Amino acid sequence: MTRWHDLASLAQLEMDGRVVAHLDGREIGVVRDPASGELWALRNRCPHHGAPLCLGSIKARGAGGLPGSYELGERRVMRCPWHGWEFDPQDGRCLDDPSMRVATYPVRVRDGRVEVEA
Amino acid sequence: MIDCDIHQELGDVEELLQFVEPAQRDWFRSQGPLLGLPGYSWTHPASWFRQDLAHQDGRPPGANAAAVVREVLDPLGVDIGVLNADDALYVSLMASPYRAAALARAHNDWTRDVWLGQDPRLRASLICPAQNPAAAADEIRRVAKDGRFVAVLLSGGSERPYGEPRYLPVFEAAVEFGLPVAIHSGGEGMGLAGDSGGAGPPTFYIEWHTLGSACSIMAHLVSLVVHGTFDRLPELRVLLMEGGLGWLPGILWRLDTNWRGLRADTPWLKRKPSEVVRENIRFTTQPLEHTDGHDKLLMEMLEAAGAPETLCFASDYPHWDYDAPAELLKRLPEGWRQAVAHDNAAALFGQRLAAVGA
Repeated sequence: MTRWHDLASLAQLEMDGRVVAHLDGREIGVVRDPASGELWALRNRCPHHGAPLCLGSIKARGAGGLPGSYELGERRVMRCPWHGWEFDPQDGRCLDDPSMRVATYPVRVRDGRVEVEA
Repeated sequence: MIDCDIHQELGDVEELLQFVEPAQRDWFRSQGPLLGLPGYSWTHPASWFRQDLAHQDGRPPGANAAAVVREVLDPLGVDIGVLNADDALYVSLMASPYRAAALARAHNDWTRDVWLGQDPRLRASLICPAQNPAAAADEIRRVAKDGRFVAVLLSGGSERPYGEPRYLPVFEAAVEFGLPVAIHSGGEGMGLAGDSGGAGPPTFYIEWHTLGSACSIMAHLVSLVVHGTFDRLPELRVLLMEGGLGWLPGILWRLDTNWRGLRADTPWLKRKPSEVVRENIRFTTQPLEHTDGHDKLLMEMLEAAGAPETLCFASDYPHWDYDAPAELLKRLPEGWRQAVAHDNAAALFGQRLAAVGA
């Protein structure tokens, strides 16, 4: 059974960019995209090598057309702080290795509090 | 059987010089038997060549088509033998791009007019002055019209790894004619080339033969992939020759791992590098590492890197580290042998194997 957990105040999250909490033996983090203000909740453990994933960065995934060209892609990704693998913060898929996926959770803000369903 | 690597040695220098434009003949003649081609700073401790092959008139074995027919094609039952320049491959490393272009032209014409007509089983790779890519592309377009040239041959030793965009005209010209580009180890640390292995020049031949010849091939593989050469030219096929194979799965694992974490530098790479390699790159088998009883492990490693589709047989006649086809093939799983001995190379060289002259 899942339930909603109160993690932090939105003001705190806006200041720190992320918040990590222990919920029923799991570390779950909520990260805030500094560009859009969007919030995502992910398990704070990179499935590749166990890094604290939510301490990485939310950024635009680089996109390339022709070799030698650099463009800022539309897509936002969660980039692991250790080896730099990139994950879709929405569904948790590793964009460069389909066999890797991190758990993601519903997140909401109620009365100025950030809550995660896990 | 298709033998992808039969070396043509410089034998009768005067015969070759007849194909050099008259105004340059004296310069080449004055350079001695290597015609101004650069050399290594170390040498083989015994002989570069198989010692059982008779040296004719003081010339090395493999110095004429008759020797190739007598010592390779007939006794080994070779259906198609691809001639690859030996010393002349290093035109790309000569200081003068003009001398290099002249010697490449002469060698290609010599191959066409003196060698290829002597047996219908013979094909050849063409050489080009890669230090001047525009001239190299011109040479490819000039020579490739003769369908008996089945590949463009580049040396492992180079000024920069071949994915660097300056070399694109060479690869574009090859693709224009449906020719694979064969990169054969050799020339590392020679003339214009960077050193072999990145740790400075080696002292001994054993260092080069263990490392230098493999490191350049690894460098070209990685460079071609990360520069997106196969994204620009999806039809391009590359044959990596004589750089060893045991390292291949390790390099592909490293490359795939790094691609996931370091994509910011090369965001144009859409596909996993090892997949690109499997599709676009082939490898010759010689010299297949001796494994001290671990052939099963080697085969598993090769399979992890795409074998058997990725492997093409090569003997490397007349060099000392020659692989005899019967001995080589029996080390491979039975189900691989037909693909490695013939089918993979037949697919790589394609239509040109049916060519019978210009």
